[in-house]
Amino acid sequence: MRNLTTLLFAAGLGFLLLVLAAGLPYGHPPMLVGQGILQQAPATTGAANIVTSVVLAYRGLDTLGELSILFAAAAGAGLVLGGHRRRRRPDPDGGFILIAGADLMFPLLLVVGLYVILHGHLTPGGGFQGGVILAAAFFLPLLGRPREALDHTAISWIEGLAGAAFIAIGLWALFARGDFLAPMLGKGVLGQLFSAGTLPLLYAAVGLKVGAELSGLLADLAATEARDP
Amino acid sequence: MNAVVLAVALPLLGAFLTPSLARLSLPLGRLFGPGLLAFCLWLLWGIARALGDATAGVALGGFAPPLGIAFHLDRLALLFALAVPAMVLALWPWGGRPREWSLTLVLAAAATGLALSGDLFNLYVFYELLAVASYGLIAANQRPAAQAAALRYLLLSAAGSALALLGIALVYTQTGTLNLAQLALLAPVSLDGPLGLAAFALLLLGIGVKAEAFPVNTWVPEVYATAPSRLAGLLAGLVSKLAVLVIVRLLLVVFQRPEATQLMLVLGVLGIAWGELAAWRARDLSRQLAWSSVGQLGIVFVAFSLPGETGVLAGLAVALHHLLVKPALFLLARHWNGALEGLRGAARRAPLAGALFALFALSLVGVPPLPGFWAKFVTLSGLFAQPGPLCSLAAVVILTATLVEAAYLFRTLTLLFGPGGEEPRMAPHGALDLGTATAFAGLLLAGVIWLQPLTGDLHGIARQAVDMDTYVDTDLPTPRP
Repeated sequence: MRNLTTLLFAAGLGFLLLVLAAGLPYGHPPMLVGQGILQQAPATTGAANIVTSVVLAYRGLDTLGELSILFAAAAGAGLVLGGHRRRRRPDPDGGFILIAGADLMFPLLLVVGLYVILHGHLTPGGGFQGGVILAAAFFLPLLGRPREALDHTAISWIEGLAGAAFIAIGLWALFARGDFLAPMLGKGVLGQLFSAGTLPLLYAAVGLKVGAELSGLLADLAATEARDP
Repeated sequence: MNAVVLAVALPLLGAFLTPSLARLSLPLGRLFGPGLLAFCLWLLWGIARALGDATAGVALGGFAPPLGIAFHLDRLALLFALAVPAMVLALWPWGGRPREWSLTLVLAAAATGLALSGDLFNLYVFYELLAVASYGLIAANQRPAAQAAALRYLLLSAAGSALALLGIALVYTQTGTLNLAQLALLAPVSLDGPLGLAAFALLLLGIGVKAEAFPVNTWVPEVYATAPSRLAGLLAGLVSKLAVLVIVRLLLVVFQRPEATQLMLVLGVLGIAWGELAAWRARDLSRQLAWSSVGQLGIVFVAFSLPGETGVLAGLAVALHHLLVKPALFLLARHWNGALEGLRGAARRAPLAGALFALFALSLVGVPPLPGFWAKFVTLSGLFAQPGPLCSLAAVVILTATLVEAAYLFRTLTLLFGPGGEEPRMAPHGALDLGTATAFAGLLLAGVIWLQPLTGDLHGIARQAVDMDTYVDTDLPTPRP
């Protein structure tokens, strides 16, 4: 009975949402703010990737918020996992193929991750995507050799300082130009690696923070004893 | 004025650094967060003093508002922004772990952002940040009952966030902007149809999860009953009020239409009836207070649905009163957990705690001359002045709910002060909890003495909050066509 009610409710809600969706102007979105940003973004921020100028310049505070959401989620998961038993015996080694594969992939993933972070203002990608690749790079060796745990103190410091660096760049702009998170250091030449002022620095902070947070979270999960079913 | 963003940025900075600092030195980590919050309080106080009756818009990053994010500073926003560091300092989790301090700082930053922001998506980001920080804080308690409560809260709140995001997407597809001031200009044309109303309903339900609005408040009793009392006080007192503030801003600025206020009125009436009846049936003190909080938030909803200045004044009065009373009640109730029957004579063994509890309970019911009476009186006189059967019905429901509230709170007080009871098996109240509750009681009594100037101030805030021309002119100095 309960299942049936739930199903009916979900179906009703789905129908309502479909009716709403039918009234939307598909293909002709009102480009009020969008048009304005498209017109002036490259000239204002100097970033070839317009998504990056929206994420880090026009809506930089939102990105700080997203970064903090990730931080809060990782801290919350750490609090929940902190109460579970630690594993007495780590898993055995992952075998030759996994270990050799991890050794091969580690430098590759590191390079790709850093590339994606550092070119965030030029090509698709950026701190969030590159940070996830970095976290994968550090987690893969942990799968191969579960005995060698990651250094939690170092991770906590990288995480804290990277987040602090993002805010510090914002505060620098506040004291130098009077606007929190305003782009600094000039615009440079559009399309060059060294362009778009502080935006690449902000993305580097985002990338390090995301990478440290996710690898810390994965290491926490790997070190926690599963509850008996 | 641009320095106001420090009130959001500095607590976040503190949150990022606190775990590492606590590894270096525990006292440093312990004091870092409260120190930053005290600085934010001082900063916001200075800005509020400098601003006076004026309003100001802050373009973040120097990008002019329709394209960039805007903070809107007026007396309403600064009142709640000031309440955030003050309340978080008063209810700071001194005994917690470093990660809990971190998450409390995140909570403070997000709440300040909610009070100040004038951008729809930025509001959503801060709302989500507030939600995620509160999941972690609630789930930090390892008891199975607390974990079950946290999971239910997580699921409900995540569903609410998805609904709110859908509402924002609807608004954006209709108007092409997220800036509240520009939405105020566009809404009479672009958001007039059923899609606009649907967007408001989605936002109301989504944000209503934190505001304990009627159908999405089932998480309330379990979370408040299992969470530490300081956290319960913070969620019931502060977080719910900021969610209400966001809804009220949206109602005043963007969705000024009778259907939207009616929806809010109906949800409020249902919330009052549901909450007070459930509180009457509750068998332990924490759940009784939790359900009474649902009922009080219902009154806040009803009060804010009144049109114009009266609505904002009445809503502010009820909301601020509840902001002060409910955390103090949770602090006092912490040591009186377990079944209500087991509390026989508990107040005789802890006279100060008993007296404070009685004071707050009487104000909650609305016994004159306590401020609770005045808050309910303003709401009721506003409701009776309105035509239409719905408002009269709401007034009758509030009066009946007050009787129910009086019945169960007097029953609890009779038990607390009554004779009987076995040996004192309960631990005495901690000095910190008792001191905080006494400070709240002092503020409440100050409200009795300075009721006249307080009313004048609230009138001024309400007048400014409903003045939409000033709102738009402040945030959009050159309105785009």
